[in-house]
Amino acid sequence: MGVRKVALSVLLVALCLLVLVPFVWMISSSLKHDNQVFTVPTQWVPREFVWSNYADIWTQIPMLAYLRNSAFLAVTISFLQVLTGSFAAYGFSKLRFPGRDWLFLAYLATIAVPWQAYMIPQYLIMEQVGLVDTHLSIILLQAFGAFGVFLMRQYYQSIPDELIEAARIDGLSEYRIWWRIMVPLSRPAIASLGLLTFVSTWNDYMGPFIYLTSNELWTVQLGLRSFVGQYDAAYAMIMTGSVISVLPVVLVFLLGQRQFIQGIATSGLKG
Amino acid sequence: MKRYPSALAAIAAASAIVLAGCSSSGSGPADPSAPVTLTVSAWNLDKTPEFNALFDAFEAAHPNVTIQPVEILADDYPEKVATMLAGGDTTDVLTMKNVTDYARYANRGQLLDLTDFVAELPTDKIAGLEPFDIGGKYAAVPYRQDFWVLYYNKALFDAAGLPYPDHITWAEYSELAKKLTSGTTADGQKVYGTYHHIWRSVVQAVAAAQTGGDQLSGDYGFFADQYALALDLQNSGAALDFGTANTQKINYRSMFETGQTAMMPMGTWYIAGIKAAIEGGTSSVEWGMAPMPQINAGGETATFGSPTAFAVNENAEHVDAAKEFIRFATGGEGAEVLAGIGVVPAYGSDAVTAAFTALPTDELSKATFTEDKEVVLEMPVSEVTSDIDTILEEEHELIMAGQKSIADGIRDAGDRVKNEVL
Amino acid sequence: MVSTAPALRKRRPPEPPAPTRRRRSLRPALVGWSFILPNFLGFALLTLVPMVFGLALSFMEWSPWGDPEWVGFENFERMLRNSTFWIALWNTTYYAAGHIPLTMAVSLGLALLLNRTLAGLGFFRTAFFLPYVTSLVAVAVVWNMLFNPASGPVNQFLQFVGVSDPPGWTSSTAWAMPAVIVASVWRDMGYYMVLFLAGLQTIPTELYEAARVDGANAWQRFRNVTLPGLRPTTFFVLIMCTVASFKVFDLIVVMTDGGPGRATKVLSQLIYEEGIREGRFGLASAISLVLFLLVAGFTVVQFLLQRRRED
Repeated sequence: MGVRKVALSVLLVALCLLVLVPFVWMISSSLKHDNQVFTVPTQWVPREFVWSNYADIWTQIPMLAYLRNSAFLAVTISFLQVLTGSFAAYGFSKLRFPGRDWLFLAYLATIAVPWQAYMIPQYLIMEQVGLVDTHLSIILLQAFGAFGVFLMRQYYQSIPDELIEAARIDGLSEYRIWWRIMVPLSRPAIASLGLLTFVSTWNDYMGPFIYLTSNELWTVQLGLRSFVGQYDAAYAMIMTGSVISVLPVVLVFLLGQRQFIQGIATSGLKG
Repeated sequence: MKRYPSALAAIAAASAIVLAGCSSSGSGPADPSAPVTLTVSAWNLDKTPEFNALFDAFEAAHPNVTIQPVEILADDYPEKVATMLAGGDTTDVLTMKNVTDYARYANRGQLLDLTDFVAELPTDKIAGLEPFDIGGKYAAVPYRQDFWVLYYNKALFDAAGLPYPDHITWAEYSELAKKLTSGTTADGQKVYGTYHHIWRSVVQAVAAAQTGGDQLSGDYGFFADQYALALDLQNSGAALDFGTANTQKINYRSMFETGQTAMMPMGTWYIAGIKAAIEGGTSSVEWGMAPMPQINAGGETATFGSPTAFAVNENAEHVDAAKEFIRFATGGEGAEVLAGIGVVPAYGSDAVTAAFTALPTDELSKATFTEDKEVVLEMPVSEVTSDIDTILEEEHELIMAGQKSIADGIRDAGDRVKNEVL
Repeated sequence: MVSTAPALRKRRPPEPPAPTRRRRSLRPALVGWSFILPNFLGFALLTLVPMVFGLALSFMEWSPWGDPEWVGFENFERMLRNSTFWIALWNTTYYAAGHIPLTMAVSLGLALLLNRTLAGLGFFRTAFFLPYVTSLVAVAVVWNMLFNPASGPVNQFLQFVGVSDPPGWTSSTAWAMPAVIVASVWRDMGYYMVLFLAGLQTIPTELYEAARVDGANAWQRFRNVTLPGLRPTTFFVLIMCTVASFKVFDLIVVMTDGGPGRATKVLSQLIYEEGIREGRFGLASAISLVLFLLVAGFTVVQFLLQRRRED
């Protein structure tokens, strides 16, 4: 058994190294001057370590404000997505009512449409309601996606109906069943939905780009792109900013992944 | 679904009201000294100092006007402006990043007709105005006119004992590039004789400007010699190969500023960039500027360029102030402000040249800047420009990456343009 | 075994015994709707409506600064005449055919590998998720460097093992797509790993113990316990991965921008260029509709296959 564990660890470490190469490049580039980032052949170790990039970025762009905006959007959207998604998913997986399956099909179908196809109509609606250039527009656009509903529904499918029937017989209302039984049981799914939503909102560029014009509303991704000029780009700064912007994501991931521990679901079932 | 037509009608109605408001403010006796907040679309204010320089100078000259920039990322500027205009945006002044975008907006009727306004301007002094003429009408005025020159690294020429590339031909250029390819930089990087950036203009627009060929015609035989030259340089190792430059996203600034290339054809916007790099201590390149190499020796220099312009939004709220801003920015005062920060203004005069201090002081660099030359528009404007642009870009990539022969690439580009676009 | 039959199968009989039941009591319907409503309101107003409108545009000539005009199939005819459309359609299918199975296999493998107690587990999981959050520019540059025809480690390795004429990868029209697929699998595996990890938590450990008692080996446990238990998750991942593959955009734009030539140009790129850049909304919508039908077709097939397996 011990040998297998060691072998597994070695394999994982080797895979990790492979996976981390671009990340290393990112860090190395963040410590260079702009005109040394793209060179042939690639310089893995900067000739001169420009640590000042990490100090300068806070003054060259309002990085702190951007981080705050990104965090606000990502947290709000993830929260709403998880809340409304799991709520709706309960309706779709454990309740029977007319029109349910057609509605779900509509949800499924929308996932298949590329956003490029409806970006402009969406913008017109936002413009009409006067929400362009507000954080609310981004929140409304991303908090009610079909993704969350679909993910939670699939997860709820694997929770036995017997459990819910028993609760109903005990006289619990559907809302209470959702809150008392489904939510605690679906912690891994909530974690993965929250995590993935957080990451995709944090990294989203096109949505904020189209909807947010005022600089004080900008997110990190917009801020980083502001280093790209008409004819050239400050790539060292972009990489510095990218490294900084990955850190919160890594933190969130480290916290969230603890929910994926074998046995949570089953211990829940027993209790 | 039903919301839609009504939403559209509402938009139409709203824009109609705005339009009516505009025309009345345009013709009515508006008080010229009343406080106005003028909105101007611009990209990357921090990295593009020309905008704030112009805004500050204008505000100083017009105390009642406050300019509020609408900052948009340079990367996807046209897409965002298109979306904003689709939504009925009322930003007063719109910066036209290039002539192709200008043609799109103007043809959709999203820009205010400035024909009468342009007639009052000193048009003989404004270079690059002609491409903005659409059927005898103007909807934008250029404030900046970049053209292509040959940058060179003096130290590398001196070390090789070669004369600076003063009005050379392409044959001489090729010979120089091969001779200058030797050794490595202090960082151990190979030094190339020249660097051709991956843009198709480096080959195609040069060929068009110097042979008189038309990039919209579908007959691209005139590209052949320039491609032969470019491929020969990369195959002989005198220029970095296209595949590497493209996939590694090579920055032309790195190539020149770190001394990895002795020569580089590039636009005049780079003057301000080199200046900033040297002042900021990230480069110590000793550089000079020469005219683009020519096919034959002795004639007038032919090169290509591309203007940047200001236009007024059809839905603008402050038309008078917007026109006043454009008059300022595209005239002598604006030009001196631009020249002062190393940007090449469209408006030309001796005072402007004198204000252009970013230039190296040698005679060749000065002559490159001031001599009489023919600056052909980088890509002619018509409704089919962007479709042809896409095709030429794709075939350029295939030829330069060695995936197609020059003849095949030129033939396929022509066939596609003729069959699918024209 | 837990019943995992998707609720959708119940829509097969056109009208279930619903009429009588519905009349008997409106309450279940109201309760059901009340669960869905909060999400549905936002979803319908901001996604469904613009989407339906966007797709309907494929039969119209429309620009935001003019009234829509019904043009029938004109946009589709233009689309079919466009050689880039056919190339992009083929490329998209090619990409999906490579990306879907590879990503599914790799991410499931990773999830299985990391669904246990192990020192540094959190670190390993984070490491494999990192590609998904690493800057796209970094991803593009590093992969292009690895794939560099002359000096890249990939080709140096191939030459080392005796391949005399290694491919040109992203500089070659024939090999650019495989290179992009490899990079994209590498990037996406962590994302789907997270979903599989969550799915693995639903399989009761008792089932594994029971299987072990019955003398099942690792492979049999995987076949008979893990795979059936993961079915709802697998279905979800498969659909999401299919959709994402057919809609691929960012990575291709940064890595090859559709090149060399049109070797890696995909449909969503074409939609963006025609729709947003050129303002040809009708044509862009027509292409979107094709993409939509393609993905919807795949989804339905997968759905039917899954149902047959369960019957």
